[in-house]
Amino acid sequence: MTVVVLLIVAGGLVAGGFLCAFAWAVQSGQFDDTATPPLRMLRDDGASESRDKGVSCPLR
Amino acid sequence: MFCCTGCASVYDLIASHGLEGFYACDIPAGVSQRNSVTRDGGYAVFDDEVLAARLIEWRREGRARVQFSIPAMHCASCVWLLEQLWRVVPGVERSEVDLLRRQLAVEFNEHQTSLRRIAERLSALGYPPVIDAEHAVGDVPTARRTLYLRIGLAGFAFGNVMLFSIPRYINGGPLEPTFQRLFSTLNLVFAVPVLLYSAAPYFQSAWQAVRARVMTLDVPVALGLTVLFTRSVADITSGRGEGFLDSFSGLVFFLLIGRLFQQKAFEQIAFDRTVRSFLPLSVRVARGDTTVLTPIDRVVVDDELLIRPQEVVPADSVLIDAAGAIDYAFATGESAAVAVGSGQAVAAGGRVIGRTIRLRVVRPVSQSQLVSLWSDPAFTRPKPYWLADVSNRFGWWFTLAALALAVGGAAWWWPDAGRAASVATAVLIIACPCALTLAAPITLGTAMGVLGRAGCYLKHPAVILDLSRVDVVAFDKTGTLTARDAIDEGGSMTPRDRELVSRLAAESVHPVSRALAGRGPVVGLIHDVEEVAGLGLSGEVDGHRVALGSAPFISAETGRPLDADDGRAWAAVDGALAGCIELDERRRPGIEAAVHALNTRLETLLLSGDRSVDARSWAPLFGNRLRFGMAPQDKLAEVQQLQAAGHRVLMVGDGLNDAGALRAASVGVAVSDDTACLVPACDAVIRGDRVVDLPAILAYARRARGVILLCFALSIAYNVVGLSLALTGRLTPLVTAILMPVSSLTVVGLSVGLMRRAYRPRAAA
Repeated sequence: MTVVVLLIVAGGLVAGGFLCAFAWAVQSGQFDDTATPPLRMLRDDGASESRDKGVSCPLR
Repeated sequence: MFCCTGCASVYDLIASHGLEGFYACDIPAGVSQRNSVTRDGGYAVFDDEVLAARLIEWRREGRARVQFSIPAMHCASCVWLLEQLWRVVPGVERSEVDLLRRQLAVEFNEHQTSLRRIAERLSALGYPPVIDAEHAVGDVPTARRTLYLRIGLAGFAFGNVMLFSIPRYINGGPLEPTFQRLFSTLNLVFAVPVLLYSAAPYFQSAWQAVRARVMTLDVPVALGLTVLFTRSVADITSGRGEGFLDSFSGLVFFLLIGRLFQQKAFEQIAFDRTVRSFLPLSVRVARGDTTVLTPIDRVVVDDELLIRPQEVVPADSVLIDAAGAIDYAFATGESAAVAVGSGQAVAAGGRVIGRTIRLRVVRPVSQSQLVSLWSDPAFTRPKPYWLADVSNRFGWWFTLAALALAVGGAAWWWPDAGRAASVATAVLIIACPCALTLAAPITLGTAMGVLGRAGCYLKHPAVILDLSRVDVVAFDKTGTLTARDAIDEGGSMTPRDRELVSRLAAESVHPVSRALAGRGPVVGLIHDVEEVAGLGLSGEVDGHRVALGSAPFISAETGRPLDADDGRAWAAVDGALAGCIELDERRRPGIEAAVHALNTRLETLLLSGDRSVDARSWAPLFGNRLRFGMAPQDKLAEVQQLQAAGHRVLMVGDGLNDAGALRAASVGVAVSDDTACLVPACDAVIRGDRVVDLPAILAYARRARGVILLCFALSIAYNVVGLSLALTGRLTPLVTAILMPVSSLTVVGLSVGLMRRAYRPRAAA
């Protein structure tokens, strides 16, 4: 019985922790725009050596 | 070759800043955007404090963050370039793109640059910011964030409640009382926030519907949720059972996911252009000897306006100058310019051609003809979508049937009051319209995404159902069934001449000029542009004198006689003949097959504003259903007449000259060869080269309707099973916990699975 209660408390804490992390992520705007970041990471900053031809324009 | 004027005009800029990485992106050649020749001073309104306050998010210690709405951004390169803004505009510290909402957030140092300067630079790069009165700063993400939080909480509760419910199911019989009490109490603790927070939108919207005495699908959903929760609480507190809280939190979780799907599909296409974005931001008003840039909202009657070539007249006025030429293509669809004389009226929405003119305002902006055209009920009244109509009617029937069954079931068991209550609540629990609340949004959302990737952009997912019910298709001709292309006959022009000519052509709205313009980059300066109506135009481009026009016009320019006027356009550079250009209006490839395919199922109709010169060549396709010489009002009347006769009309047109007909039709599809330039009056925008896919699109829409009906049938089958169990008093929490998610998941699986790969355009280009 005690073990079950202990497990429930531990499980609830872990799950609650993830819920809080999710809430923080949403509130800090990480889910606001899910379209642009995947495009952003395809490009290098500044340097023009890497001409990755694989990059296409998905919204053209 | 560049995908947009921005890409093109910054070529030099980019090279000089060492940003050649921009060209690593494989951009298709020849996709041109509407030309936006930037002019100095047009953005002086950004110095206006009232406007600035609307755009600025925050401002502290000389730094500020603003949100620009930029409809022109559309690809990975645009994102990249706009986020490198700090290299191009001194004083900009950071810029961030939200591609879906077409927004750019810029943080800048107010000592080094200004809002206006950034706006001007953006415009020079080919991304003119649009000022939209309806878009306030900062209110958009909150709704989406709340939805995510609601889903997160419901999912969290669903998982935990399942964890505490499964032991009971696996055990087969009741658990040890201490465990049962502990688990039930914990379930309740998890379910209360779901009821109060996650399910709140359903209760709110149901309450609003009840107060407004209308029926929506949220009413039976809210009713079901309420009964589900109270019955569970009653069962748990009385110790009669373990309640249905797993089903409750699972149901809320799935319903919210359906809602997210719907919202995502809706955001795919940001129709963030309104009629105001077609009007100029500011206008030159003569005050004494000087001219002052004034926001158009502040223009008053009797102001004297100076409108330069290519600028739009913002208000109804009369001409002060001796003569001028106006093109009303936007407001009326007439592509020929109209000559006006001194004292004659000029309507708002006209575009000035040839030379700068002076006007006196006779009616303020808000009352002008253009605005009244757009505030016509046909434009502003939201169309009643068939889906909304059906789901409301269905909602009525569903609620009434569920209540009747609940009462009937209770009456059957009546002497046994406890049994009667449990049967009645069980009926209301199991009778939940999951099919409509999940099937329709997910099917339509998937279909909308698929069509969007195929070049057909819908304004709202429900348009698909309206498309599936269309029985008459009305086409506009020019720009819809045909594409205009200027061909350089014999390839006689050198590339340099060609570029100079197309840059000059960007200054004019003549059909030949339009077909020519927008191919080359628009950089450098153009001086002394003069257009002689009906003859041609000339100007100085990069220090070269360029002329474009009819044979007599070019003869005078070059001093060399040309052959008799045969309707072709000629070009001259620096007084020497450069070449000949012919406007080729040809049918879009595959259009005949497409119209024939449509003819087999429904009726087609051609409504053209042109003269009936080529009526005979269209007769094989449309038979006697050809109407020529139609003014925009005639098209509108024709569409309304068909609808009065009980037809559901799909109008396909190029958008601006048949805007009334597009809006009035059951479905209005605007054809655009440039997807960044959207038409406010339509339900969908289709890329010019995809018009031939219309039969496939209609077939796909019919399939979507079929899938939704199939989901209804399936959900009714589930309901029959569930209700028979409920009425006989055998609906246990275990059965509910299995039946509800299974029915939701099969509906979701069917909707996505049957729609995702089903779109088959005939002509794979």
